[in-house]
Amino acid sequence: MALYTVTSNIPGLQMRPETAASAASAAAGSVDFGEMLGQAVEQVSDAQNVADDRLAALASGKEVDIHGTMIAMQEADISLRTMVSVRDRVVEAYQQMMNMAI
Amino acid sequence: MSLIDTFSISASGLTAQRLRLQTISSNMANAQTTRAEDGGPYRRKVPVFEAQINNFGDMLDKNLARVKVTDVIEPDTPVNRVYDPGHPDAGADGYVDFPNVNIMEEMVDMMNASRTYEANTNVVDSTKQMANKALEIGRL
Repeated sequence: MALYTVTSNIPGLQMRPETAASAASAAAGSVDFGEMLGQAVEQVSDAQNVADDRLAALASGKEVDIHGTMIAMQEADISLRTMVSVRDRVVEAYQQMMNMAI
Repeated sequence: MSLIDTFSISASGLTAQRLRLQTISSNMANAQTTRAEDGGPYRRKVPVFEAQINNFGDMLDKNLARVKVTDVIEPDTPVNRVYDPGHPDAGADGYVDFPNVNIMEEMVDMMNASRTYEANTNVVDSTKQMANKALEIGRL
């Protein structure tokens, strides 16, 4: 699951002083944070959709593997949890920055 | 090799055991069937499992194998000949060819299949627990 590789790239997200000044030049060299976050969210959404489709297929009798559906649901669950904990970290970092005494 | 790949390996094990249970159910249901498609009695069916290695992965992936049912064979054990002249499929000598299915053997196979299925679901659960534990790292 690419979500794990995304989270492993998190150290590359440290705030750089020049990011605010020249966002365009920073985006050219490195991956855009917003874009990366969007991709991660999309992957989580894909996993949810796959689980949803398989559940519908199982309920309508098209799918025969109960375990396949259950595992797809677990995959969706884990990827959602991963995304939530990444979000928690990001929010935490943001709040620490905002509460910094100047 | 991510945790999600472990899921797919366990899923292959679950699928294999489910297919095995299907052949067992077929054997059990036809334990007394004297008329099969080819004329003779029903023949016991046994699935063949094959380890399948993902050659596109990295070094570690090449040492890990999924299981796949590649064939369903009919073992050559002799049919069960029973003397029953009144049976509609009795031969001239009064003997009937019953399937080479042994109910006890099938029961043992069924227990084995369901236990192996259970073991594979436990692997899935453990994998999920590991993933959830990993997400707890650093959480206060």
